[in-house]
Amino acid sequence: MAGNFWQSSHHQQWLLDKQDLIRERQYDLSILTEDEYQKIFIFFASVIQTLGEQLKLRQQVIATATVYFKRFYARNSLKCIDPLLLAPTCIFLASKVEEFGVISNSRLLTTCQQVIKNKFSYAYTQEFPYRTNHILECEFYLLENLDCCLIVYQPYRPLLQLVQDLGNEDQLFTLAWRIVNDSLRTDVCLLYPPYQIAIGCIQFACVILQKDHKAWFAELNVDIEKIQEICRYIINLYELWKQYDEKKEIQGLLAKMPKPKPAPQR
Amino acid sequence: MSQRYEKIEFLGEGQFATVYKAKDKDTDNIVAVKKIKAGSKIEAQDGINRTALREIKILQELNHKNCLVLLDVFSQGSMSNVSLVFDFMDTDLEVIIKDNTIILTTANIKSYTIQTLQGLEYLHLNWILHRDLKPNNLLVNAAGLLKIADFGLAKLYGSPNRINTHQVVTRWYRSPELLFGAKQYGACVDMWALGCIVAELLLRLPFLPGESDLDQLTKIFQVFGNPTEQNWPAVKTLSDYVEFKPYPPVPLKNIFIAAGDDLLDVLGALLVLNPLKRKNCSEALQMPFFSNKPAPTVSNKLPLPQSIKKIKDLERPSLKRKLLNSAEGGNLSKRLFF
Repeated sequence: MAGNFWQSSHHQQWLLDKQDLIRERQYDLSILTEDEYQKIFIFFASVIQTLGEQLKLRQQVIATATVYFKRFYARNSLKCIDPLLLAPTCIFLASKVEEFGVISNSRLLTTCQQVIKNKFSYAYTQEFPYRTNHILECEFYLLENLDCCLIVYQPYRPLLQLVQDLGNEDQLFTLAWRIVNDSLRTDVCLLYPPYQIAIGCIQFACVILQKDHKAWFAELNVDIEKIQEICRYIINLYELWKQYDEKKEIQGLLAKMPKPKPAPQR
Repeated sequence: MSQRYEKIEFLGEGQFATVYKAKDKDTDNIVAVKKIKAGSKIEAQDGINRTALREIKILQELNHKNCLVLLDVFSQGSMSNVSLVFDFMDTDLEVIIKDNTIILTTANIKSYTIQTLQGLEYLHLNWILHRDLKPNNLLVNAAGLLKIADFGLAKLYGSPNRINTHQVVTRWYRSPELLFGAKQYGACVDMWALGCIVAELLLRLPFLPGESDLDQLTKIFQVFGNPTEQNWPAVKTLSDYVEFKPYPPVPLKNIFIAAGDDLLDVLGALLVLNPLKRKNCSEALQMPFFSNKPAPTVSNKLPLPQSIKKIKDLERPSLKRKLLNSAEGGNLSKRLFF
């Protein structure tokens, strides 16, 4: 995505403070623990990723949809809109914004039904309950809650440039790219600018691959403290993942999750 | 309309939208409400209209005095029925050009051109192509401030290899590479359109009013001569390229008799067949025309249609407005007190 990040709505309005997140999540965190809250978001990030892959979207579109999803709940409780409805709506909006072309509503709904049935039956025993009119209504609500800020900058482009600068190591690039994808399951996209996330993911990849690029990092004009914070988020994610069996726990978590009242008619 | 906006009058209708003048009951400001047409039932299934979405997405990132600002977005009835709210602008360049009672001096033309170039420079520096520049999309308010509007076709550009549609820009302002079917293009398409607009400010008539795409190319070549391998290498590789009957180029001096040499240089720098040879906004703004005498007319002295002037005069004695103006320190520097 082109444009000027420093003057963008992403930089000016949508880099939030840790304190903002804590405040906005107060209600949800009175019902769920922080770990449980994050597990629910990991689950829905996977739902968005799987839907996107089924629809053959580019990763850029999937990432934008995930950021929309996270931005929405950074301002609203989970009880505002069922995340199972918001997830496909984010995909629907993101694919238009990224000029990927309109996904027809019927194709989106069919894909949702298939994906829920075939890939997430361990979480949902019932069919995907929503229809076109739900998505259309939800789309506007989403746009409104995003304050009409639709352009999202992703770490993928800075990642590519930085790795080129490092000497174009394929292995490093592939791993760092995957870590960027994983980072969508943390709050970093709400808290840090994309170039810092890219650097954090490169550093993480360097550690895993035991590559020594100290000299290169030393020359970066970047707040290393922030990079460490980003790495910590990612470490925490991997730690959480290690001792977490989604298939066993998710039904319980979804049942515990705050829900819209009255529940939509199914 | 909506709870907040009270419709005053109908302003106009385009392909995608209807525009109303309205009053914002929260602020008492006059605004323009652009209601995006719902489209067919099939289109309604696609949710928020893509043209509207493009406009929202781009306008939300913009902040320049010569670009229209998006104030609000709301929907009514069916959710996909979106309306965009903008600052109200009194008129546009098309109305001004067509108004025979208005005399456009070199200084006036310079002012409108600089304002457009500055707005467009900002867009291009932010990698945004407008893709539909025409006098009708250059709005002017009662204070003579020009703002670029209608970003329904605008697009971020700069990704190499990205394929774009060539079916953009109203035909009379469409550049020769678009007419030849180019699918990879850049800011030069806006520069050509701008050249046509400056020409229209001089002629007070559309400069190249083609009746079809082929006729449009004919009209272009009748003035600028046919493209050749020398002045436009690789032109023949464009997908819709066709050979035209040869025309000799006509010196611009013979068409724009009243224009000074420095202004002709500007036209000659924008209206170049080869897109890569067209000057960009920043280069154009450096041309002597813009620093030569006469100085560009200050915004609030620009000639406006009679209907707007009357309103302006009526409003002038308002004490509230004077107080407001003096409260905003920014306005003071522009005025000279004797």
